[in-house]
Amino acid sequence: MFVAGVQEYRETYWVPDYQPRDTDILAVFRLTPQPEVAPQEAAAAVAAESSTGTWTEVWTDRLTTLSRYQARAYDLEAVPGRDGQYLAYVAYPLDLFEEGSVTSMMASITGNVFGFKAIRALRLEDLRIPVAYVKTFPGPPNGIQLERDKLNKYGRPLVGATLKPKLGLSAKNYGRACFELLSGGLDFTKDDENITSQPFMRWGDRFSFVMEAVRRAEQETGERKGHYLNVTAPDCEQMLQRAEFARDLGSPIIMHDYLVGGLAAHTTLSNWCRRNGMLLHVHRALHAVFDRQKDHGIHFRVLAKWLRLAGGDHLHTGTVVGKLEGDRDATAGVISLLRDDFVPADRGRGIYFDQEWASMPAVFPVASGGIHVWHIPALVELFGDDSVLQFGGGSAGHPDGSRAGATANRVAVEACVQARNEGRDLRAEGNEVLKRAAGHSPELGAALETWREIRFDFEAVDTPDRVVAS
Amino acid sequence: MRLETFSYLPELSAEQIADQVRSIVARRLVVGIEFSHAPDPYNHYWTLWKLPLFDIDDPAAVLAELEACRQANRDAYIKVNGYDPVRQGQVVSFVASRPDRGA
Repeated sequence: MFVAGVQEYRETYWVPDYQPRDTDILAVFRLTPQPEVAPQEAAAAVAAESSTGTWTEVWTDRLTTLSRYQARAYDLEAVPGRDGQYLAYVAYPLDLFEEGSVTSMMASITGNVFGFKAIRALRLEDLRIPVAYVKTFPGPPNGIQLERDKLNKYGRPLVGATLKPKLGLSAKNYGRACFELLSGGLDFTKDDENITSQPFMRWGDRFSFVMEAVRRAEQETGERKGHYLNVTAPDCEQMLQRAEFARDLGSPIIMHDYLVGGLAAHTTLSNWCRRNGMLLHVHRALHAVFDRQKDHGIHFRVLAKWLRLAGGDHLHTGTVVGKLEGDRDATAGVISLLRDDFVPADRGRGIYFDQEWASMPAVFPVASGGIHVWHIPALVELFGDDSVLQFGGGSAGHPDGSRAGATANRVAVEACVQARNEGRDLRAEGNEVLKRAAGHSPELGAALETWREIRFDFEAVDTPDRVVAS
Repeated sequence: MRLETFSYLPELSAEQIADQVRSIVARRLVVGIEFSHAPDPYNHYWTLWKLPLFDIDDPAAVLAELEACRQANRDAYIKVNGYDPVRQGQVVSFVASRPDRGA
């Protein structure tokens, strides 16, 4: 018999003795209930409203087997030092999600619970994507190893720069700026996210001039070069039209803003890249709207996992250096999630679950923004070889111009890699390595004088409890 | 002509090449030597100098092969590569020798 009425969520959705199955999608939320709401009820509400539940009993529940489809809140931990805040663990059965669909995951797990009245704030901290689900996604169109093989670049971080000023250059002058940077020694140049197709420079004109710069720099240096041609567009038809033109001009790589463009458009583009052998650089404009607030939103590690599933060959992750201490371990965790095949749970790096990627290709983490030659020893140490280091201002801001700035950065990266391979400790000796390399590179010498020396104390940040409370 | 990793540093000395080879061997990578008379950014396949040097423990063996390749191909560019059989991909590559008369 159907009994109408309202039940507490926890009667059905708080299941503390539940043993998660290997095929469940697991989520951990940082949960701040309203003061009068019990944390079990708030956690159950999250599980209910992101799966089968609604606010009242409905007769149609009796036409299915809810236990097969319901999510379950199965654990709660009080967050030390933050009164009234909890980590709530929720398990979702695999059947709740469409195969190969990040949009399905986003809509289900973040659908309406973030605005739920009984909850003051809610942040999705991490997701465990089970192998059974991972295997329904094709992932990055190329991956780190294939990109290295295509471009013939091994044993060092790749180096790039975003074109500055980001707005207002004509197509021909923009191509000139690319040519100077690429022939000076960078592997890649990049459109800023603001550059799409404005009156001062239409996309087709930009693509044509930039590709001439890429080809000429390749002839001059004997190295492969590329420019991240931004194909983020007002609609998917134009996005694909721009991608096709980039391909027809011989560009090895294009760029997309995956959050702004949306995950469905992004997945379409990633599939197109796989079919066309195109590398895909991924920018993350909008991310801070989701991930900056400690108590509410979606942590970037989740956005990064979604990107690896949807597909991308490069993803911006932040620079670690020159930022707040608290970012360092969390960013290192994100870098692991992009590159490694198995990432163990590690609360010190903000990783709550083991994550298996089941041979899914890896994504290059991109460090970009406010970095210059003095940061390079720390960047090489922290990011390792499989990374892209981008010096926009740190190249074009060189007193002798972009070409010299590019050379300075390339020399510094190579000197640090050489020293590291010789067994030198870049943490202790990095600045000495740079100064010695400047002895054979006046470009690096001038860059070292232009920007300020930096010292790093890595030991001081080794505080594993911090992430839990941050 | 630059040709990738370490090409923005002064030409590596024999001792510096030995240091790099030591690090490749220490990482348990498979060392290979390749040469080309006309490097091109779009050419992935240089000529192999013998088969890759599997199971090498002593970097001196690599340096001896490098020197033998140099003697036989004085006008060639010669690369030292490191291949990772676990990752199933090449992870190290640098030009260790350039033609006797400039690039």
